[in-house]
Amino acid sequence: MTDNRNCDVLVIGGGPAGLAASIAAHDAGADVLLIEREQRLGGILKQCIHDGFGLVRFKEKLSGPEYAERFIDEFEKRGITALLQTFVTDVKKTADGFETVVVDREGVHTIAAKAMVLATGCRERTAKQVSIHGTRPAGVFTAGTAQNFINLCGQMPTKKCVILGSGDIGLIMARRLTLEGAEVLGVYEVKPTPSGLARNIQQCLRDFDIPLYLSHTVTRVFGEDRLTGVEIAKVDENMRPIEGTEQYLDCDALILSVGLIPENEISETLGIEIDAATRGPRCNKDQETSVPGVFSCGNSLQVFDLVDYVSDSGELAGTNAAEYAKGTYDPSDKPRVPVPLEEPAGDMAPNQMVCITCPKGCLLTVDREDDGSITVTGNRCPRGELFAINELTAPKRTICSTVRTAFPETPVLPVRVSTDIPKEKIFDVMNEINKVCVTMKVSRGDILIRDVLGTGADVIATSDLLQPDA
Amino acid sequence: MSGTNEIRRVQRKLNKTFGNAVTAVREGDTIRVSGSLPTWEDILKACNMAVSKDKRRVHVVNDITLEGAEPIPMRVPSVRDDALDGKHVDVLVIGGGISGTSIARELAKWDLDILLVEKEADFALQASGRNDGEVHPGIDLGKGSLKQKYVLEGNHMYDRVCADLNVPFRRIGQYACFTQGYLRPAVTLLALWRKYHDGVTDVKIVGKEQLLRDNPTMNPDFAFAMYNSSAGIVSPYNLTIAYAENAAQNGVELSLNTAVLSMDTDGGAITAVHTNRGTVYPAVVVNAAGVFADDVAGMAHDRFYSIHPRRGTDTIQDVKSAKIISTIASIIEVNKQALTSHTKGGGLMQTAHGNVLAGPDAVECREKEDFSTRPESIRTIYQKQQKTVPAAAPRDIITYFTGVRAPTFEEDFVIEWGRNCKNLYHVGGIQSPGLTSAPAFALDVAKDVAERIGQTRPVSKNERFDPHRKGIPELCKMAPEERARYIAENPDYGVIICRCEEVSKGEILDALNSPCCPPTIDAVKKRVRPGMGRCQGGFCSPLVAQIIAEHEGIPMTEVRKSSEEAVLFYGPTKGGGPHD
Repeated sequence: MTDNRNCDVLVIGGGPAGLAASIAAHDAGADVLLIEREQRLGGILKQCIHDGFGLVRFKEKLSGPEYAERFIDEFEKRGITALLQTFVTDVKKTADGFETVVVDREGVHTIAAKAMVLATGCRERTAKQVSIHGTRPAGVFTAGTAQNFINLCGQMPTKKCVILGSGDIGLIMARRLTLEGAEVLGVYEVKPTPSGLARNIQQCLRDFDIPLYLSHTVTRVFGEDRLTGVEIAKVDENMRPIEGTEQYLDCDALILSVGLIPENEISETLGIEIDAATRGPRCNKDQETSVPGVFSCGNSLQVFDLVDYVSDSGELAGTNAAEYAKGTYDPSDKPRVPVPLEEPAGDMAPNQMVCITCPKGCLLTVDREDDGSITVTGNRCPRGELFAINELTAPKRTICSTVRTAFPETPVLPVRVSTDIPKEKIFDVMNEINKVCVTMKVSRGDILIRDVLGTGADVIATSDLLQPDA
Repeated sequence: MSGTNEIRRVQRKLNKTFGNAVTAVREGDTIRVSGSLPTWEDILKACNMAVSKDKRRVHVVNDITLEGAEPIPMRVPSVRDDALDGKHVDVLVIGGGISGTSIARELAKWDLDILLVEKEADFALQASGRNDGEVHPGIDLGKGSLKQKYVLEGNHMYDRVCADLNVPFRRIGQYACFTQGYLRPAVTLLALWRKYHDGVTDVKIVGKEQLLRDNPTMNPDFAFAMYNSSAGIVSPYNLTIAYAENAAQNGVELSLNTAVLSMDTDGGAITAVHTNRGTVYPAVVVNAAGVFADDVAGMAHDRFYSIHPRRGTDTIQDVKSAKIISTIASIIEVNKQALTSHTKGGGLMQTAHGNVLAGPDAVECREKEDFSTRPESIRTIYQKQQKTVPAAAPRDIITYFTGVRAPTFEEDFVIEWGRNCKNLYHVGGIQSPGLTSAPAFALDVAKDVAERIGQTRPVSKNERFDPHRKGIPELCKMAPEERARYIAENPDYGVIICRCEEVSKGEILDALNSPCCPPTIDAVKKRVRPGMGRCQGGFCSPLVAQIIAEHEGIPMTEVRKSSEEAVLFYGPTKGGGPHD
């Protein structure tokens, strides 16, 4: 055992929740220490290179790395200490707080803290947890793992795949794989309604003519070494496969987006009560768990659909943990009410569309009047009307992707277009992006292609990944 | 009863059931059953009818064809080279399961040239890696069979073998539990018979009170149980790999991705063995080919028994559910349905790694390599095992897998020299309790083979034989002080790659540097467990792939899940960068 440390608030997890909690706890006057098991801060956002983050908080459409790096900048500006590549092996309650045992490249350390924030995120439900049978070949991936392979490792995990589950990551991956040249045969959802946001159904599936099959599931996987196909079946109202509806599909991968499970192994070590419905700790309004002094936030508390809410929950947990450490915390006796998720997408009439401007995903009804004018209803803000009119006259989209780099330890760098481009130019612009190879250590916001294909949009780097201290 | 009378009676029974479709002929000590039948079930029924009373000597050979069906060929690795071509060895061991690796390791105690070939991309990829890992007490076997002889000998050897090979082994005991109290006198008599007649000395009867006191999670309706304290648990693939590593350490050559395709024979002896990697010239061949043992026997014109594959599926629950069971247990249902049913729901146990395992079931199948799983297996297993421990729940399952057993129709091991081939030694029909028995029969097989070679030239002991294998340290099991010492020596032990199983980069590199580890995701997973936990490799597989690529000096695209065909990636995105 080597050196031991002390702090007021120990934050476990360096994703968006942990970063927000650390910043808030620091600003509330606490001495904060953050523990992150990976080499870099940012959590899952590092691989979420698509846009749509920060609309609520920053009123901007940021990509995941951009959103995370804004918080990392704030975190670093304050001089808060983060212990990277550090793993918690044990936590226990002591007379005056908590003792956490961690391992890193230097050895085993003990950290004493007065209060704790658990921001450990969530994990994906796996194939066996949704009862997928058949053989066990290579080529069955969760959507998050496939996303890591493409966006961080720069490797193509499939050429032709089926996606099971219409969760947001599955929808995002359908688009991402398509942009990278893979064929997505369809998204299959066991429930009668899609799970992901309506805007993602629109911009990830409909935009690319990827079919969505509701009340369908994958019943069997084929292939001895690499996956060679899957069996699809319709399901009844109890989500059980209907005999005789089986259909074989030739493909090389099955990508699963079948739900997220809060990771609460550390909470369980501390004996924290877990809510059976959210699978996160049972908390009061301040996000204090059943163990006084331990606060929970982010996706380990409840699986959120927007990162903006994750950050909010981190700030609340961080602030209250700081108060607890200072001895000024007055616990709420009201239970926490989970943040409601956005409504699932419903059926659409031919004159309807989903506004993709923000995560609300309003269902717009668009009618052309006899005089040629367009009336839009169903929008909850003026941007909806503008979106609908643009969709009918000159639809525009954003593109988020990666470019190759000359640095083997960072094979790809996330990029996006600085402003929306004409929808019909998506694949042409992708072509231009695919030609780029970054040979210099560029920064976030640096322009990699100026005015790509005369669209007026630049292709810009969305991460400081190549910066020496990143 | 003479063989002639027996075969007449068999033929009468066959005729009664199948008309004249099937013929049974006695040829020496085999009963060859031939003809053609419409279903696999019929074929099994016909062969089972032909089983002799003299099971140790007389075997059924199944030559019945399935109407309208082509034979299913053995899967053969795609590699074709001459890596082994022209090699002369004293012993060729066919099969890298528990039988083949344990025999190879015991053979290494003599001064012999030994080559072991395995057609899969790693050891223990068939039955030896797809079973429950129980070290059996032998309570279900009566005297007279090879199974019974070796299960008792093998069980006693486990502490020593696992200590030498540095493989975790725990004697956690086994309960056979009964709800029907009135069966207690009969079961007690059976236990006494097993103890004093069959040599199962650890058996005892445990009453309800003690059973539930020691195992509070068990079914409160249990009236009593038969208990064997010698039952234990081991990781079957870790033990197989450990045997392979120790064999390699002691000079045995191991060749993966190597399938035996055919043989040349002359004068009742094998002269050459053709593989996908060249022709090998062995003095003696050991047939430890699992479900393919009868096919290998056929290549040497010595097919005097038949294997009929029987699938079994096991489920693995999250380590969090370990609190529901600390031992091995199963309800024993004595009723009409249970006695006539061909499937069974196995048992429930805590594994060597602290997971909960439920299963296996038992389903006859035609295909020898049908490792697919089916939802009905899971249902069968849990329907039964929830009666053992009501808290056993399918929702805690993190994975499941299927293995294929290799029984003969006599349901016993075949461990003997060939009957029509002088230099072929059969280790066939190895199914449960094969894992328990292997350490014991490996000693006998190795001794017989060494003696046989000793008839042609002097064979001395291998003076340099080292029975000890150095395992890979398991950092997460260490006390903090010890762990810190290891990390001080090698900082990679402090970098956690697999969060669920708490596996460090140092341990993964140790696996890649171990004596016979293929550089694949699955091989590393089997040896040091990244990906074995609740996220099933979702988080760590990109990192493990990177570590493998770096260690091997290959692009990430070339990293495989297991075999050469089990590709993970179809190349870098956008056609790659300058370093691809």
